[in-house]
Amino acid sequence: MSGRRIGVYVCQCGGNIGDYVDVDKVVATIEHEPDVVVARSAMFTCSDATQQEIVQDAEEQKLDGLVVASCSPKLHTYTFRDVAKRAGINPFQYTQVNVREQCSWTHTDDHEGATEKATRLVRAGINRTRLTEPLEPIVVETTPKSLVVGGGIAGLRAALGLAEIGLSVFLVEKEPRLGGWVASFGAMYPHGRNGAELVAKLEEAVRANPAITVFTNAEVMSKSGSFGNYQVTIAVHGERLETITVDVGSIVVATGFETYEPAAGEFGYGIDGVVTLPQFKKMVDGSAGPLTYNGRPVKTIAYVYCVGSRQSKDVEGGHTYCSRYCCTAAVHAALEVAAKADLSVRQYHLYRDMRTYGKYELLWNESREKGSLYLRVPDDEPPAVEKIASGGLKVTTRDLLTGGEEVAIPADLVVLVTGMVPRENDELVSVLKLPIGIDGFFNEIHPKLRPVETIVDGVYICGACQSPKNSAESVTSGLAAVTQSGAILKRGFAELDPMVAMVDTDACTWCDKCLEACPYAAIEQVDEDGKAVASVIRTACKGCGGCVPVCPTDAVDLQGYTDAQVKAMIDGLLEVTCS
Amino acid sequence: MKYDALVVGSGIGGMESALKLGDMGYKVLVVEKESSVGGKMILLSKVFPTLDCASCISTPKMAATIHHPNIDVLTYAEVEGIRSDGNGGYHATIRQKPRFVDEAACTGCRQCEMACSVAVPDEFNAGMVSRRAAYIAFPQVVPKKAVIERAGVSPCIFNCPAGIKPHGYVALVRSGEYDKAFDLVLETTPLVGSLGRACYAPCEDECTRGELEGPLPIRRLKRFIADARYGRDDAPPVEKPEPNGKKVAVVGSGPAGLTAAWQLARKGYSVKIFEAAPKPGGMLRLAIPAYRLPNDVVDNDVANVTAIGVEIATDTRVDDIAALKNGGFDAVLVATGTHKAVQLRVPGEDLDGVHSALDFLRAVKLGETVDLAGKRVLVVGGGNVAIDAARTARRLGAASVDQASLECCEEMPAHDFEVEEARAEGITLHDGWGIDHFTGEDRVHGAELRVCTCVFNPEGRFHPEYDESQRMSLECEVVVVAAGMSADTDAFGLETNGNRTLRADPDTLQTAAPHIFVAGDVVTGPTMITTAVGQGRRAAFMIDRYLHGAELDRAAFDEALPVVDKGDVLGRQDVYDRREPLESAAAMSAAPTDFGETEGPMSEVEALDGAARCLDCGVCSECHACLDACPADAIKFDMQGEEIEAEVGSVILATGFKLFPADAKPQYGYGRFKNVITGMQMDRLLAPTRPYNAVLRPGDGKVPDNIAYIMCTGSRDETVENPLCSRICCMYSVKQNQLIMGALPLADVTVYYIDIRAVGKGYDEFYEQARGMGANFVKGRVSGVTETDNGNLVLRYEDIENGGSLTEAEHDLVVLAVGVQPNADAQLLFADGELALDDYYYVGEADEDLNPGQTNLPGVFVAGSASGVKDIPDSILHAGAAVAQAAAHLEKAKVKVPA
Repeated sequence: MSGRRIGVYVCQCGGNIGDYVDVDKVVATIEHEPDVVVARSAMFTCSDATQQEIVQDAEEQKLDGLVVASCSPKLHTYTFRDVAKRAGINPFQYTQVNVREQCSWTHTDDHEGATEKATRLVRAGINRTRLTEPLEPIVVETTPKSLVVGGGIAGLRAALGLAEIGLSVFLVEKEPRLGGWVASFGAMYPHGRNGAELVAKLEEAVRANPAITVFTNAEVMSKSGSFGNYQVTIAVHGERLETITVDVGSIVVATGFETYEPAAGEFGYGIDGVVTLPQFKKMVDGSAGPLTYNGRPVKTIAYVYCVGSRQSKDVEGGHTYCSRYCCTAAVHAALEVAAKADLSVRQYHLYRDMRTYGKYELLWNESREKGSLYLRVPDDEPPAVEKIASGGLKVTTRDLLTGGEEVAIPADLVVLVTGMVPRENDELVSVLKLPIGIDGFFNEIHPKLRPVETIVDGVYICGACQSPKNSAESVTSGLAAVTQSGAILKRGFAELDPMVAMVDTDACTWCDKCLEACPYAAIEQVDEDGKAVASVIRTACKGCGGCVPVCPTDAVDLQGYTDAQVKAMIDGLLEVTCS
Repeated sequence: MKYDALVVGSGIGGMESALKLGDMGYKVLVVEKESSVGGKMILLSKVFPTLDCASCISTPKMAATIHHPNIDVLTYAEVEGIRSDGNGGYHATIRQKPRFVDEAACTGCRQCEMACSVAVPDEFNAGMVSRRAAYIAFPQVVPKKAVIERAGVSPCIFNCPAGIKPHGYVALVRSGEYDKAFDLVLETTPLVGSLGRACYAPCEDECTRGELEGPLPIRRLKRFIADARYGRDDAPPVEKPEPNGKKVAVVGSGPAGLTAAWQLARKGYSVKIFEAAPKPGGMLRLAIPAYRLPNDVVDNDVANVTAIGVEIATDTRVDDIAALKNGGFDAVLVATGTHKAVQLRVPGEDLDGVHSALDFLRAVKLGETVDLAGKRVLVVGGGNVAIDAARTARRLGAASVDQASLECCEEMPAHDFEVEEARAEGITLHDGWGIDHFTGEDRVHGAELRVCTCVFNPEGRFHPEYDESQRMSLECEVVVVAAGMSADTDAFGLETNGNRTLRADPDTLQTAAPHIFVAGDVVTGPTMITTAVGQGRRAAFMIDRYLHGAELDRAAFDEALPVVDKGDVLGRQDVYDRREPLESAAAMSAAPTDFGETEGPMSEVEALDGAARCLDCGVCSECHACLDACPADAIKFDMQGEEIEAEVGSVILATGFKLFPADAKPQYGYGRFKNVITGMQMDRLLAPTRPYNAVLRPGDGKVPDNIAYIMCTGSRDETVENPLCSRICCMYSVKQNQLIMGALPLADVTVYYIDIRAVGKGYDEFYEQARGMGANFVKGRVSGVTETDNGNLVLRYEDIENGGSLTEAEHDLVVLAVGVQPNADAQLLFADGELALDDYYYVGEADEDLNPGQTNLPGVFVAGSASGVKDIPDSILHAGAAVAQAAAHLEKAKVKVPA
C-alpha cells in the first residue's frame, strides 16, 4: 500500500467494449487492488454524466489518481485530463488504458480472453498511476506571427485571414509570382468568376496589408524551436541568395498540387489533339469565340474522365483516389465551350461515375441541356483513343446507358480529364516533418474532425496539398487553418505536455548517445559544475522516450513513464488473476 | 448578456465554431433548440471513411463545448429573432423553453423517465422505438438533464372544472398503476368514487378520441380506480400532515365543502365541517339516487376526509356565520349549496300529495319509507333532478310515472342520455307542457296542463309563454315538483345577490368579511359536482394564502399551459387505429324495482382497453409520477419559459439540415411497408446505442439477409423539387454496407445507384473496399417497391449494366438513402427577407470563392450544412472559415471602438 487513492472507471462504450469484455467482472476483480478506492463500470465514460460522477467521486473519496479504461488514448486523453483537473486530481496522475482498440475489438471471438486481458491492462494502468507524480504543463509564450508556405489562392487567403485576426504573417512563395494555379484560370465553377481576377484581388489586399511580408522566389530552409515559437529560415533567391530567419507561432502549408501528366500513349496521349484538362482549360479560357484547334474549328469534343484517378490498385504507382474536382471542372469547361460557340459543337463525355456533388449537380444538368452527351464507360474497359486515317481522332467505347452498345466517336479534340496529384516537396517535408498519406498528399491528424491539423503541433495544411479540392474549397480550408492558428496564438501562451525526458546529471557522463537518438533536437550539451552533461530542452522534447533506453548509465528517464512505472506496468500485466 | 459571438445550433459545425472562437478568447453564446448539444452526428453509428465510432469522437467535442470557460450554452432554447444594433453587432432574443426540470438540481438519474406514464415515438431513434414524455434524449446527452415534454394541457384536463387531471389518471390506469391513479385524483378531491359515478364528465366531451370512434370512458375509469381502492382491505392509510396550528370552519359538507376541507387538512389546517343534515355529502348523499350513486360510495369518499382528521358535525345547522370566529376559527368557508326548492307558483301547489323533488329524493336517500305502490306519479320539470325523481318514483312501485317538462325534449336541461334512460324505464315524457294548475280537494288528484310555446324571452330570462288553446288533463295521486333550487342564505347575515347566492369576489371567493370565504352552488347557483369541487379547491387555495398573509393572486391558481390543438394531436401520426366504439355500460330495465346501480363496474380488461385509447394529447399526462420518483426534487411543473436578450458582436448560423421525408416518395412505400426504412434508421440500428441491440427488420424482427439500398431518395429528383445531389448519402450507405457486412456476415447487400459519389479523401478507396467486401452495386434507378405477403419487398429497376432491361428483385429489407433538405429556420431568425437564401433555400454565401461562410449581412456567418449539405470534414472546414471571418469582423470592430 502506498497510501494513494485511485479511482478506476471501466467503460462499456455502448456495446463496443461491453459486448466482448465482461466489464463488471473486470471491475469486480480490480476493485480489490491496493490503493483502489473507487471502481465502477460506465456505459459511456466519456459522457458528461460519468464525467460528473468522476468529479463527485474524486471530491467524496479524495482521489489522487485516476484510471480510465476505455478507448485509445488518441481519443480521450485530453477529455479525461480535463475531468481530472475539474475533479482536483493532477491531470498527469491519470492513466488511460485502452481496452477497446487493443482489446475488445481485437478479441471479438474470445470473450473470456478479452476479459482477462482487459483486467491485466487495467491493473497495469493502476500500477502506473500509483507511481505518478503531480506534473504541471510547460507554459510557453507564443509568438503572434504565422508563416504561410505557398502563395496560391489558399495561401493568399490564409495570409490575409491571419492578418485580419491580428497576427503578423510571412508569406513564402517559391515562384516569382503569387497566385498559383488559379492565377492562370479564367471562369471557374460554380459562380463563373474569373480565377486570375480573384487572385489579383487577393494579392492586392495581401500586398497592401502592413502585417503581411511577402517573399517570392523563396523557400523554407530550416525550422527550429518548438510549438508556439518556431524559428524558420527562409531563403530568398534573387540576384544573390538571402536568408532571413523569422519567429513564428504557427506554420500554414498551402503548397498546392500538380496535375496528372499521362504517360505517352495513355488514352492516346501524345497524339495531336489529345489534351489534358488543364491544357484544355487554357484553350477555352483563351478563346474569345468558338474553339479552334490548330486553326481549325473544333466541332466534336470527346472527354475521357478519370484519367490518372480511381486507378486500379494493380496499376504500379497508380492513383487509386478520386480527384474530386475534375468531373465538375470538365462539365464546367463543356458549358464554357457551349457558351462561346453555338450549340452545334458536339460534346461527348465518357465517364464512370458523374461526381458533380452537391449543388454542382445543377451544372451537370445544365450541360446536358446545352447538348453535352454522356456515355457511361464500364469500369474495367477504358475507352480507346486513336488517330484515324482522315487525320481526326476516334474514341471507341461501350456505352452502358444504351445497353452496352459499342460506340465509335470521331472527334476533333480529345480531353483527358486529368486529376490532381501530390506535388514533390521533399525538402519542405523534411524541414517541417510533414506527414504524408498513402495517396501522397499531406496527412491531417484526423480526417474527420481535425482536417487541417498535423501531428506536428502548430503546423497546418490547407488547400490541395492535403487532398484534391476546387478553388473555393481550398480557400475554405485556408481560412480553417487561420482559425486553428488563431486558436493557439490569440491567447498568447500555450501549454505543453510535461511528459518529457529528464537527465540525472550525477549519472550522466555525456556520451551523446541520447543526442543521436533524439529526433527532435531536444538534447543539448551543457556544462554543470565543470562537467559536460546532457540537458533536455523541455519545449522541444516530445516525450517519445527514444533517449531513455540508449543511455548506458540509466541517467535519462521519462516523466510520466519512468522506468519504475514501466516495470510496474509489466508486473501488472504478468500478475495472475485468481478468481 | 453580452457576447462576442452567438452560435445558433450545436451540431458539428456549431460546436467547432464555438470551440475555436472560445480558444481565441472570444466570449461565445451557443443556443441549441434540442436538450443536448451534438446535432445529428452524435446519433450516427460510425463515420466514413475512418469507421470511427461517431459518439466516441463527438462526445469529447460536446463535453469540451459545455465546459469551455469562454462558452455559455443554452440548450432547449430557441433564437427567436436577431436584429442589427446599427453598430456592427446584433441583438438576439432567445427563448429558453421550460424543461419543467430544474437543471441545477437534476442529476440525470432517469428515475423520472422510468416512472413516466406516457410513451411517444423516440425521434432520437428515428421513431423506431418509443421514449417517455419525461426523458433524457439519448445516453450521451450533454448536459445530462431530463426534459418533460409538454405540448400543452390535454383537453380533458383543460375542460375539468374541478382541476382533476384525467389524462394523468388514465395514463396511470394504462400502466396498471391503479393506486397511483386514485392518489392523483385525491390530489384534487376526496370524492373519487362519487365523481366516478355521478360526474357528467365534461372531459369526455372534449376528448380528442371523440374525433375518431368516440371519447375514452374517462369517468368510468375513475370509478374503476375508486372501486379498486375501496374494494381493498389493505388500502394504504391517508397520511396526516403536521398540524400548522390554524383552524378553519367549513359550513356544508357537499362537494365544495368536502373538497375544501380535504385540501386544507392536507396543508395541516385543523378543519371542522358543520352539516345541517344527518349525513355528510350534501347533494351526493341527499339527492342523487342510489341507482346512480350508492350511499356507501359517498361514505367511502367522506371517510377520506375524516381519515385525514377533519371533524364533521352533522345535524348541526349554522345560522350565524360571524359567530364562528368566536369558536376559534381563523377562517370560515360557507359552502351550503342550494337546498331550497323553487316553487311553481301555480294553484293547487299546496295540496297534499304535492312534494318538492329535493324533499322527495332526500327522504328516499335517507331511508325513510316512501310508499308509491299503485300510485300514479306526475313529475314536473325537465332537469336532472326531475329525471332523478321520476326514476326514483318508478323504483318505488308507482303504477305510472308521467313527466311534464316546459321545454321540448331537445331543450331540456337534463342530459340526453338521462332522458333516454328515463324513457327506457317506462317514464312517459310530456315535453313542451306546463302546469296550469293542480286539481283536487285536499289531496291532489290531477293536473291541468297547457302547451308551452316559449320558455325564455329574447334576453334569455325564464319567461314562459303558453298556447292556452292546447290543454291536457292528467290524473295522479302524487306530484313531485322539480322546478329548481336556490340558496338558503337568509340567516347568514352575509351580502347576497338577487337570487340569494352569496356575494364574493368570483376569483378569490372572499366575501366582504376578509376571513369568510364562500364556494360551490351557494355562490354559483346550481351547477355540476365538478364545478363545486373546483370551487372548493379554489377556496382552499385562497384561504391558505389568506392565512399565510399572502396576496390573493387570482392568476396563481391552476395556472396552466394553453390547451393543445386537437388537430395537432391528430396530425402527429398519419394513421390512428380506429377501435370498436365502447358499449354503454348501463343495463336498463323497463320496470326497475330496486336501487341497484344501473351501470355495472368496469372489468380490468375493459379499463385497460379504454385507457389504452388515450392519444396523449398534451404528451405529458400530468400524472405526477415523476414528481414522486425524482430524488432530487427537480421536477417543476410551474416552470415558465424565459426570454433572454443578448448583445452579440457577430453571429454564426450553424442550423444544419433536415432529412428528406421518405414518405414523399410514395412509390418506395416508406410508412406503408414496415420493412422499408431510411438511412438514418439503419444508422440507429447499427449504432452502439441501437434500439433493438441488433440489426433487425422492424416488420417482424427477422434478421435481414438480403438488404437493398435505394440511392438518391429525394435527391437529384425534380419530382420532389430537389435537383441537388445530397452528397452524404452515397458515403453513409457505403459505410453502412461495411458495417452490415460486419454485423451480419451472411447478409447480401445490394446498392441501386445512379452514380457513386465518393469524392473526399479516402472515400473512393472506402467505396472500393465495400465492393471488395462483397457489396453488390447495381447501376439503375428503382422505379417502385411492392410488398409480398411475408413482408419482403420487390424492387423494380432498370438494370443498366446488363442490357438495360426492366428487372425485379426481391429483398427482405430496403434502406432508402434519403437525401437532405435545407433547414429554412435560419431565415426566420431575421426580419422578413433580410437574410439572403440561395435558389434552394439554403443560407446564401455572398462570395463563396473568396469569403466562404459569409452571408449578405455583415457580421453574420454561416457554418456547415446550413449553406448547403456538407460531410463532417467539410463542415469542420467551413466552420473554420466562418470563425476566421467572424474573428476578423470582431477585430475590426475592436479597432473602430477604442477601449
